[in-house]
Order: sequence, then structure tokens, then C-alpha cells
Amino acid sequence: MSKALRTATALAAVAVLSAGLAACGGDSLEKSGGGGSSQAGGGKGSLTVGSAGFTESTVLAQLYSQLLTDAGYKTTIKTVDNRELYEPALEKGQIDVVPEYAATLAEFLNAKVNGKDAAPVASSDVDATVTALTELAGPLGLKVLPAGEAVDQNAFAVTKEFAEKNDLKTLSDLGKSKIKVKLAAGEECSIRPFCSPGLKKIYGIDVTSVDAKGVGTVQAKQAVKDGTDQLVLTTTTDATLDQFGLVLLEDDKGLQNADNLLPVVNAKEAGGADVAAALDKLTQVLTTADLAGLNKQVDSERKKPEDVAADYLKSKGLLKG
Amino acid sequence: MAGQDCLAANEWICGEFVRTRSQELVDASVEHLWITAASVAAGVLLALPLALLARRWRAAATPVLGVTTVLYTIPSLALFSLLVPVFGISASVVVTGLTLYSLTILVRNFLAGLDAVPEDAREAARGMGYGPIRLLWEVELPLAMPAVMAGVRIATVATVSLTTVGSIIGYGGLGNLIKEGMQSFFKAEVLTASVICVVFALVADLLLLGVQRLLTPWARAAKAAG
Repeated sequence: MSKALRTATALAAVAVLSAGLAACGGDSLEKSGGGGSSQAGGGKGSLTVGSAGFTESTVLAQLYSQLLTDAGYKTTIKTVDNRELYEPALEKGQIDVVPEYAATLAEFLNAKVNGKDAAPVASSDVDATVTALTELAGPLGLKVLPAGEAVDQNAFAVTKEFAEKNDLKTLSDLGKSKIKVKLAAGEECSIRPFCSPGLKKIYGIDVTSVDAKGVGTVQAKQAVKDGTDQLVLTTTTDATLDQFGLVLLEDDKGLQNADNLLPVVNAKEAGGADVAAALDKLTQVLTTADLAGLNKQVDSERKKPEDVAADYLKSKGLLKG
Repeated sequence: MAGQDCLAANEWICGEFVRTRSQELVDASVEHLWITAASVAAGVLLALPLALLARRWRAAATPVLGVTTVLYTIPSLALFSLLVPVFGISASVVVTGLTLYSLTILVRNFLAGLDAVPEDAREAARGMGYGPIRLLWEVELPLAMPAVMAGVRIATVATVSLTTVGSIIGYGGLGNLIKEGMQSFFKAEVLTASVICVVFALVADLLLLGVQRLLTPWARAAKAAG
């Protein structure tokens, strides 16, 4: 009998322990939600900002969240791995605001609405791309807010010396110069229209070979610095170009799609003018170089995205408080 | 100042990381523990009736074991993604997924434990007038306890590590930090979160071993006597 009693006691202890742990977790979740409210002070309701987890997305989610908090909303940030998972959540209003890229999202929705083989709607023209995106997003219950100047798209860089010696500012200059170049990029560059084939066709650049070193990797940039390769594929928000003595050549004929940053919101939950106005303050001010700088502070200096975002908003005078 | 350097230098072991991110580490750890605990607890609560069902009607044993085993073969990334439309972006997705995974181990072990109860012991109990519930509670479960607890221990350790996969929807406890660190090549973040995760698995296993000792005092007595 005492054995049975002991068994029961131990089982009860385990049950209480796990219940305690579970309750503990529940508390912490509520607390993190409450943390937002204590900052907010106002009572406009709560909004969930989505982040796709990579550095730039995390920083943008922080910027959005802090601006919305400043505007009187309670905010929480949810990190979701990819667009396939967070876009449906945005439609349902489980996530209310997401930092997005115009062309990429336009093509994502295009494929979703019109099928995989639909004709592309995104182009290098920002206005046309955003218009197409707005048309696709509307029926899904999404509202596309205006795009700003900041853009994260593929870009090509050369060393400063190389650019000065051959007087290069744009990709057209490089095409006219008739210089043979080796391109450090991802393996798929030799078949992607925006990459090697586009450089040859649109700009007449003589790409002799593609050196598969990855997009914007340290190895790729080092290869150009060392002179092994002459041209490197990276992105416009790459903040480490200076360290390698590299400069971007302007995409003057619009080979790359307009992946300008813009906030996309759930029309029902966050479609109001207040949200749009709060986020537009940032869209008006944020430049590609700013974004590159913010990424660098997180990725190289290892500052917290939260602090980096707060410092930026303060330095630009975007917070009331 | 040296501490600040190890962050910029991206070293694997960095005290400054632990200092500046202590709140994040605590939050992630707490989330990790409650997701694991809730999943295993739900798994145990579900596995016991399933094991009893499989024992009572042998015809049910094959499908029960079959289904719970097949569940384990679904990749965790896929299972969580499939559960998102049902629960939305919430911790329920991860807890449900992990509970389903734990069933594979728990049901098998519970059934093995109950099967291993000597028929003599059952007969004797029945002879003494034990009804089915009292028989289960006072004779069968205690005798099955070594196998039951072995299952709970394996399931718990497996769940501690699988919880990290929940990071795809932002509910992965320490997995959130591991994933974030992997994406930005932040060595200290990846290593610190991973080490805590391993420590959790080890400590949980030891604690459950302690619980098992408490529940089966006769095992120690037998060892001492023999």
C-alpha cells in the first residue's frame, strides 16, 4: 500500500512540475506581449510585425515595430522562416505588417494567383512594379504601402582602381570599354537572365567565364580584390564593399528588378491611415546606404538589431518620445 | 574592451555575448523548456490510453503502432509547415508536432512495459480481489515503470533537440537563436544556444532518472540484496 502511495505521490509531483513549467512558459509569453504595451502607453490596439529572420528583415521589423509603438500601438514581432509561411498568415491577419521587396513579392503573388507560368509583372520600373503588386495584393486582403528609395537587389562591383583606370561608372561603360572580365558569382549566374546572359545581351559586356564563388561571399569579393576576377555579383545593401576596396557599377539599363522596400499590411487589421503614416516616415528617409549600414552594424559589429534600429530612428528624429 | 572585441571578431566563445544577450537567452530557454515539457506531458497523457487500447484489443495494436511509427518518418520541417494552416503561427503547431513525434517512442515503451508484467502477478492480484483499475494502478503500472520511464527519458531528450526546429515559425526556443546565428554567421550565438540545449537534454535525462529511482524503490532494494 505504501508503495502505491509513493507511486501516486511521485506521479503527482511530476504532473505538478510539468504544469508549473507550462504555466511558467505561458506567463513569459504574456509578459513579452505586455512589454510592448508598457512602452506604448497608448491604446490603439495591437499589431504583429512579421520578420523573415535574415538580418535585413529583422532590422526592418524592429524599425517598423518601434515606429508603430511610438504611434501608440502595442507591437510584437513574429519571426517566420519564409514567404510561403508568412504570406498566408499576413492574409489571415495573424501577422499585420511585413517589410517586403516590391518585385520579389509581386512575382510571388503573381505565381500564386496566376500560376507558375504566368508572364512576369515585375520589372526594373519601381512604379510599374508597385502598381502590379498593388493589383495582385488587393483581392487577397493585403494593402501595399508606398515604396521608398531603399532597394535591395543584385548589383555588380569592381575595384576602385579598375573603375578609375578605365573610367567606369555604369555597366554600360564596362560594355563599351570592351574589357574581358571574369565574373565572381553563384554557379547559377551563367544561366540566369539577370546575371551573365543579361550582362552580355543588354550591356555587351565580354564575360569570359563565371567563377562560382557564391553571391557576395567573402571569397568572391577577395577574388576581385586580388585580381583573379574583375567583376563580382553582390547586393546593393552589401556594407562590406569598402573593406575590399570595391565600388558598385550602376545598372543604368535596368537589368535588375525593382526590389524596393515597402511595408505590406493586412488591409483589415492595419489598413488605416495611422499605420501608413507611421511607416511612411521611415520609407521617406531610409536609403539603400542606410540599410547597408544597419546590416553592417548587426552582421559585423554584432550589435543587437533592436538597438541598431532604435539608434537609427533617434538619429533621424523619427520618434516622438 | 576585450569583451567587446570577441563580438566583432566573431569568436566561438564570447562572454560579452552572454552578458549583452542574457535576456534573450533566458527568454529562449524558458520557451524551450515549456514547449518541451508541454509536448512530453501531452505525449504521456495520449500514449497511456493508446497503449492500453493496443493491449486490450490486439487487433488495434498493429494500426496504433503503425500510425505512431509512420508519424515519426514525416520530416519535422514538413510536419510543422503542414500544421500551420490548422493552428496558424503559434506555439500550438510546435507542441502538437512534438507530441505526435513523442508518441512513437512512448506508445511502444508503454506497451512493452505492460506486456512484460508477469501473468502470475496479475493472477495473484485478481485472486486478492483487485478490480481492473486498481490492478492497473497498483500492480501493472509500477511493474511496467522501468520501461515506461525509459520511454519518457528517450522521448524527452529527443524532444529537447527537436524543439529547435520550431524556429521556422519563431517558436523554437533556443532554436530561434541557433537559426538566427547560422544566418548571420554569428558563432557565439550558435555555440552558446547549442550548448544550453545539450545541457538541458542531459539535465532532463538525469532528473527523470531520479524520478524513475523514486518510483521503483524495489529495484534498488533488489540490487542491494543481490
